[in-house]
Amino acid sequence: MTDNARGGDAVSDGELVERGRSGDDDALDELVRRHHASAYRVARSITRLDDAAQDVVQDAFIKAFRALSGFRGDASFRTWLMTITANEARLALRKRSRWNESAIDDVGPIAVDDPDPAEQAVNGQESSRARALLETLPEKQRLSVSLRVDEGLSFREIADMIGSTEGAARVNYFHGIRRLRELMV
Amino acid sequence: MSQTDCGTIREYLPDFAAGRLDVGAGKVVAAHLPNCAECRAELDLIQILLAAPPAVPATLVHQVTTSVRTSRRSTRRPWWGISAAAVAALALGIGVSTDRPVTIDGSVPDFASEAEEGELWLSDDGLLAGEPSFDGLSDEALMELLEELTSEGAG
Ligand SMILES: [Zn+2]
Repeated sequence: MTDNARGGDAVSDGELVERGRSGDDDALDELVRRHHASAYRVARSITRLDDAAQDVVQDAFIKAFRALSGFRGDASFRTWLMTITANEARLALRKRSRWNESAIDDVGPIAVDDPDPAEQAVNGQESSRARALLETLPEKQRLSVSLRVDEGLSFREIADMIGSTEGAARVNYFHGIRRLRELMV
Repeated sequence: MSQTDCGTIREYLPDFAAGRLDVGAGKVVAAHLPNCAECRAELDLIQILLAAPPAVPATLVHQVTTSVRTSRRSTRRPWWGISAAAVAALALGIGVSTDRPVTIDGSVPDFASEAEEGELWLSDDGLLAGEPSFDGLSDEALMELLEELTSEGAG
């Protein structure tokens, strides 16, 4: 069982989900290995905090696995997990803002734990500069760009995740790309 | 190349840059690029982004798998202080946005439902960069905006 569950992509996510429902912890471990990076990038994009994103991913997996009986095999487990992760990340932000309201009032929606974009721009690479600038965009724009570029999601899937129409997801993406191009000049 | 062509091409640029396009679609994009500085510039940006994806902490897999197993063993203790009945109730709907629910398969568990409807996005957009929300716009207005975004240069 363990060997099969760890047999790589030969075993589909749907099969792993089925095994997980039957109590196979190894199958769930494999789902974590396959999809933790996507979940982390979603959580990181929303929270912009490394430590918070890790906690979010952990909670999202636990909750997803708890709700596995409600998952339908015809949907993508990865997209389903990413949606749960996005909800969890927003909840984490809300909790932080409740605990730290004065800071939120001072600096905006949330403090970014990295150096500011301008500072990062000085130290170097175009790619890290682009990533830092991406973080300065509004959430739906940066999430749309990240989900489209990094995860390859369709605008339909992005719309589901950001809670908008497909058209709005498309506009958020192109607006974000355009803003980035302007900022990168 | 017409503006319509650019709009289509630009939708595919992320998949093209990441090697996710099938051969046929890849050829269409590749044929467009030599004649279009705008699409090339956008591809450049996407490639720059793809060159440095956010680093995923190496310890994350272990952290998550350990937590998952621990939580599965403690079945008698309710997670996060909510009962199984509450979990089931929360799984019925999701209130992420004011205009439409998440409907990937109709059963995404909404553990964030303690948040009030319409508040989940905080005031991020407006506060951070003064951006409008696009969710309230009509399809027609969105199409106009999209047309503008995909037909003009960034500069
Ligand atoms: Zn073009």
